[in-house]
Amino acid sequence: MTSPQIEIQLIAVVVAIACAIPGVFLVLRKMALISDAISHSILPGIVIGFFITQDLNSPFLILLAALTGLLTVVLVEIIQKTGLVKEDTAIGLVFPMLFSVGVIMIAKNANDVHLDVDAVLLGELAFAPFDRLLISGMDLGPKSLWVMGVVLLITVFLLFMFFKELKVSTFDSGLSSALGFSPILMHYGLMSVSSITVVGAFDAVGAILVVALMIAPAATAYLLTNDLKKMLWISIALGVFSAVAGYWFAHFIDASISGSMTTVLGIVFLGVYLFAPQKGLISVLYRQKQQRTEVSLLTFLLHLNNHSEENERHLNHLNEHINWQKVRAKTVVELGVKNNLITIKHDVVSLTEKGNDFTKLALEYIITNKDEKIEHMKEDFFLFRG
Amino acid sequence: METKFAVKIDDLTVAYDYKPVLWDIDLAIPEGVLMAIVGPNGAGKSTLIKAILGIIKPIAGSVSIYDQPYEKQRKLVAYVPQKGTVDWDFPTTALDVVMMGTYGDLGWIKRPGQKEKKASLEALEKVGMLSFKNRQISQLSGGQQQRVFLARALVQNASIYFMDEPFQGVDASTEIAIINILKELRKAGKTLIVVHHDLQTVPEYFDWVTFLNVKKIATGPVKEIFNDDNLTKTYGINYKVAINK
Repeated sequence: MTSPQIEIQLIAVVVAIACAIPGVFLVLRKMALISDAISHSILPGIVIGFFITQDLNSPFLILLAALTGLLTVVLVEIIQKTGLVKEDTAIGLVFPMLFSVGVIMIAKNANDVHLDVDAVLLGELAFAPFDRLLISGMDLGPKSLWVMGVVLLITVFLLFMFFKELKVSTFDSGLSSALGFSPILMHYGLMSVSSITVVGAFDAVGAILVVALMIAPAATAYLLTNDLKKMLWISIALGVFSAVAGYWFAHFIDASISGSMTTVLGIVFLGVYLFAPQKGLISVLYRQKQQRTEVSLLTFLLHLNNHSEENERHLNHLNEHINWQKVRAKTVVELGVKNNLITIKHDVVSLTEKGNDFTKLALEYIITNKDEKIEHMKEDFFLFRG
Repeated sequence: METKFAVKIDDLTVAYDYKPVLWDIDLAIPEGVLMAIVGPNGAGKSTLIKAILGIIKPIAGSVSIYDQPYEKQRKLVAYVPQKGTVDWDFPTTALDVVMMGTYGDLGWIKRPGQKEKKASLEALEKVGMLSFKNRQISQLSGGQQQRVFLARALVQNASIYFMDEPFQGVDASTEIAIINILKELRKAGKTLIVVHHDLQTVPEYFDWVTFLNVKKIATGPVKEIFNDDNLTKTYGINYKVAINK
């Protein structure tokens, strides 16, 4: 690997981590759309900042643009508070407005400004190593690595300090407020960090893809864990993986690095969406199938419980009596036998003692809906796992 | 003997967009009562609690907790919001939710440690949920979720408890478990203020009651004021409730 290659990957990794952390909280607060809005509406801030500083990595530009991001949040809230339109509509009204102001400003000054809409929307990581941080002639590495490094450090520091406050205000804003941790303060804190991250990252990955880096790792991690800390770690790991894998994918097919990173994220999400052990599509479908079989078994057990006469309990009559297809009847009977709930003698099905108890408990559960009755049954059956 | 008041509310008015939700409420809640707030939907019951706790800013009036503003008395107060106001799919466990009750004492930045964890486990035990401590909260039934919320309030170790419909959507055994804990807390000298919907159980569960419908209709001992007259005034229809004397 050449040194620019290493630098590009390093920048990509830092950007991915810095985006993944606020992304987790945005996803949990159901505010993913707001990051999209911020990423677009910072454009006028960037343009004005660029007119003044002539440097895309200037801290002043970043602050100015981040303020435009906060302005978006405030405007959305003001419009929403009128009660005339819903939040999504308010977002849809505000950010294209601000964004278009930025687009016009770029177009009017396109001749003498080193900034174009494409670069803003898509970024170009490959050029990042060319812009060096020079202090009294000494080369300290790419500027954007320094910018994002500082942003990441601030984010990690704030996360470490205010993890518990962020958690409680995200989960239960009422309690948070009663305890003295102002949810409004936490909200604007998170919005500020998100804005600064988006501004810092847009130069590398562009305003559109920065949204993917925030939302996709968090959404993927959400499917994989039930623990907030693990969700943060998984998001970070996914961000790092997509940054490195995306870089080499882009290298291999000779395409945009940020585009490739986002593609990798999309593919990873799709894979997890399909194959996640608990919340994945396949495991959900499997569980639903199991549940159907178990409901059938329960129906069958109730039928046995209701009828002592042998002809009602004869295997050959299963189809007629409860109107089931052969395959289903066979699965159900097998499941019942496997769990020692029924016995079959001369093709006549009877409930075992366990089967009897089980049916009674199940009936009681259905009638009273009391969970504790079936606590021990949950191990064997999906049906009662809510 | 002079009555000591846990909560005093003077001329409290709360409005959403210029529409008053609570109008000129005067209310003094004596220390050590188990009080129900009853009233029809939209009567401002939840709003009253939120205004007392500073979650909503009133447009007029004042609230004091033991003669001090709420901001100075946070640590004396525990709060159980309505179960429906939080996202139960949030990635966290029952124990972790209870631990949130310790955050108030900790203040900013400081993290909960072994002491807080021990207190939280004890609170879970008290509500009969210890064996569920590591369960993800979406995997709990409605009654279990409410017990977790109660445990979180217990761990706050407060003097005054505000509870917003703790019996909503819980099974009968949870309802009994919760009311027994509330009665135990009252015996220990705590003050409990509970938004309640089931009028039938008011005389059985509570010793104090406030009728609310935007304005305060009446407040006092259940034995004296829980009658058809006040119910009719509050609910606006002729109300007959069988009260066992």
